[in-house]
Amino acid sequence: MKKKLNSSTIRRFITIGLVIALTALFSLLSSNFLSMYNLSELFRNAAYLGLIACGLSVVMVGGGIDLSVGGIVCATGIICVHLSDIGLSGYMVLILGIITGGAFGLLNGFIVTKLKLTEFVTTLASGFLFFGLGLVFAYRDDHGTLMAHSIKSNTYLSLGQPLLPGGFYLISLVWVVLAIILWVVMHKTELGLYTFAIGSDEKSARMSGVNVAKIKVIGFIMSGAFSGLAAVFVTAYERTASTSLGNMREFLAIAACVVGGVVLGGGKGDAVSAFLGALFLAMLDNGLRKFGMDSYVVYMIQGSLILVAIAFDSQFAKISYRRRVKEQRLSAQTLTS
Amino acid sequence: MSKEKRKSLDIKVEGPMKEEGVLLTCKGIDKSFSGVQVLFGADFEMNYGEVHALMGENGAGKSTLIKIVTGVYHKDAGQLYIDEESVEISNPIEARAHGIAVIYQELSLVPDLTVMENIYLGQELKKYGFVEKNRMRERTLDLIKKYELDLNPDATVEVLSMAQRQMVEVLKALSTNAKLIIMDEPTSSLSAAESEHLFRTIESLKKKGTGIIYVTHRLEEVYRIADRLTVMRNGEVVGTLTKAEINPRTVTTMMIGHEIKTEYDVQRTFNDDFVLEVKDLRYGDLLKGVSFTAKGGEILGIGGLVGSGRTELLHCIYGAKKPSGGRILLNGKPVSRSVIKNINNGFGLVPEDRRREGFNPLQTVEKNIAIASHDVIANALGLVYAKKERDWAEKAIEDYDIRPKNRKMIVDNMSGGNQQKVILGRWLIREPRVLILDEPTVGVDVGVRAELYRFMRQLTESGSIIIMVSSDLFELVQVSDRILVMHDGVFFEEFPREKATQAAVLMAASGEHTEEGVPLV
Repeated sequence: MKKKLNSSTIRRFITIGLVIALTALFSLLSSNFLSMYNLSELFRNAAYLGLIACGLSVVMVGGGIDLSVGGIVCATGIICVHLSDIGLSGYMVLILGIITGGAFGLLNGFIVTKLKLTEFVTTLASGFLFFGLGLVFAYRDDHGTLMAHSIKSNTYLSLGQPLLPGGFYLISLVWVVLAIILWVVMHKTELGLYTFAIGSDEKSARMSGVNVAKIKVIGFIMSGAFSGLAAVFVTAYERTASTSLGNMREFLAIAACVVGGVVLGGGKGDAVSAFLGALFLAMLDNGLRKFGMDSYVVYMIQGSLILVAIAFDSQFAKISYRRRVKEQRLSAQTLTS
Repeated sequence: MSKEKRKSLDIKVEGPMKEEGVLLTCKGIDKSFSGVQVLFGADFEMNYGEVHALMGENGAGKSTLIKIVTGVYHKDAGQLYIDEESVEISNPIEARAHGIAVIYQELSLVPDLTVMENIYLGQELKKYGFVEKNRMRERTLDLIKKYELDLNPDATVEVLSMAQRQMVEVLKALSTNAKLIIMDEPTSSLSAAESEHLFRTIESLKKKGTGIIYVTHRLEEVYRIADRLTVMRNGEVVGTLTKAEINPRTVTTMMIGHEIKTEYDVQRTFNDDFVLEVKDLRYGDLLKGVSFTAKGGEILGIGGLVGSGRTELLHCIYGAKKPSGGRILLNGKPVSRSVIKNINNGFGLVPEDRRREGFNPLQTVEKNIAIASHDVIANALGLVYAKKERDWAEKAIEDYDIRPKNRKMIVDNMSGGNQQKVILGRWLIREPRVLILDEPTVGVDVGVRAELYRFMRQLTESGSIIIMVSSDLFELVQVSDRILVMHDGVFFEEFPREKATQAAVLMAASGEHTEEGVPLV
């Protein structure tokens, strides 16, 4: 039997095509778009967004949503700076940052599965909670005013330094590697299959013996841990943890997932979708700013693109459905003849 | 899942071994629900490699018997035997362990996963934590080849037809070594060609020794595939017929039993000046050119099996669905395709699924009644006065005896009968010219039914038309002035009131012409 391209593969090609098209466009319009320095910056920004988006994609593929990732980045970032202040090395901070983020995710998962609250409301609320927690630990001067506090640990700061003389940051490398690992996890392990199953049809998955609660909790832990990891890298690069850390990141991360082909409601997309989506948005941001566009124009273009992506996916689903009905008719005809 | 179970999957993938003899025996099964006995000493027996059909009207006890076999319910008395050994099945997992699998009407597949991923969902083959897709694919292919199915293990389920999805369900059952597969009305969502596909799968299973209990309402399918047929009625097994003994007259008589018909003495007059005409109406594959004329003062009953296109016909007339062809005329003028315009022109619909389409369960009686009449009770600016709404609702509550007599009652908390009175009352208070009823008395107790029939009669006496779809043969025969029976997307036979019997209507619905009816095809 001939292997047919399924809709996910087609969608993947479309995203890749978009990234390539945007690369071509910007490199034609600007001579230094493909410069070492710019690419390095682009990939650093993309990785910051992309790490969060990759973690989030696990929850979204499972049919959920995590609006608390911005709050997790903020709280974890500030906690990490404190951890380094008490003398822990950068590597310890890195591990503890992942654990802290994961713990926040666990809390989300616990509330969603045990108290049976919806993902949207739970993570909307917990996002505020985590953000507030970050503010509690934020550095203040004697008058209680927020102040910048520089990271002193050299190993910590080294996480934010370029790997090569010309650029390229560790966060970009980690992002690429983790996105690949997460793709393998989503497609080659039980955890991944179950996540797709739940996102596609939770009731059927439960009837087939899938432990829905467990898979959902793991998804939230992944989302939190990836956000925690992103927080460590971004604080290391910025040499401090400000309270605006992670602000609005949840929406950008959702946007990255959606543009990349993770369907709101679940069942479609994966970490590579989130990867490509984040790359696309970061590239757009980078390129538009290069032409001196104001940030509000960038926002408007990003917003429009997200709408286009959602509209496209809903149309795309309809087209796939029609294709299916057509095939069904054909096979029915061959049956009767 | 336990290690042992996974191991057993590794050893036996070819499905059940061909075995001979008796597979399942049920002896003297009794079952009551809160004091009401629904099964009376039911006996049932089936062999390996047999397709055993199970028929009976709604409420005959088929589902209860099936659910006892699959461990969903617990029997009060009687004994189950598998391979002639007495067994206790106390939950669905034990039923699975005994090799019993059920394929429900609502399929339990995950649309975004592939065929093999669905088959192995919850029981994946794994090595070092990775899912072994290659081994799963091989085994799925083995199963597909063995049962000669037309499936691609890597196809995503969402691109499969309903018939193919059912095959996946069957494979899922076979992958756990099921020797008895129970199919509960498997063709209700299939087209004719797809059903044929399913029948071939069943033939193939049969050859390999799998036993199949086939629950259905369709007599023609029983001829086509069943080796034996057991008929149930009112919680009792009426009898088991062998293939040679199965004929429409015997089966329908067994299903209906002794018929009591109240004599019809009232002479009805129909109004020729008010007619609803449907001409060659088509809707997808479901309606293949349906025509009829209903006259003022008439209750037109529409019979046929569930899924025969009856609901779609009603929705097309009401304007809720867009027909793919044909005309609907009221007094010679085309009926609008807008529900709102039709309501304003005197149409009303009491839908089959009253919770989802009929009322707003969390709203009060008052709001539910007033919602369809804002054209009357709102002022020119579109504002609704609470007092008018209240008067409107109180009139309906009084006229149609809605209980409790409390307009602020939340409809969700009322009995099924009174909920139905609310929906019926919503329309009746508007004195509709064409009232469309889809299964008007499902979940309504006998006392309230009589009242509903009386309200319907009152409406037609004022010259309105009622079109009523019902699966309740007794109701159809008792209430309708004329009955049209649908089969395979067209009206198959017509019964004038005095000739209609339940058995005849049932036969016509199964695609068998009767002496009583007037053939339309």
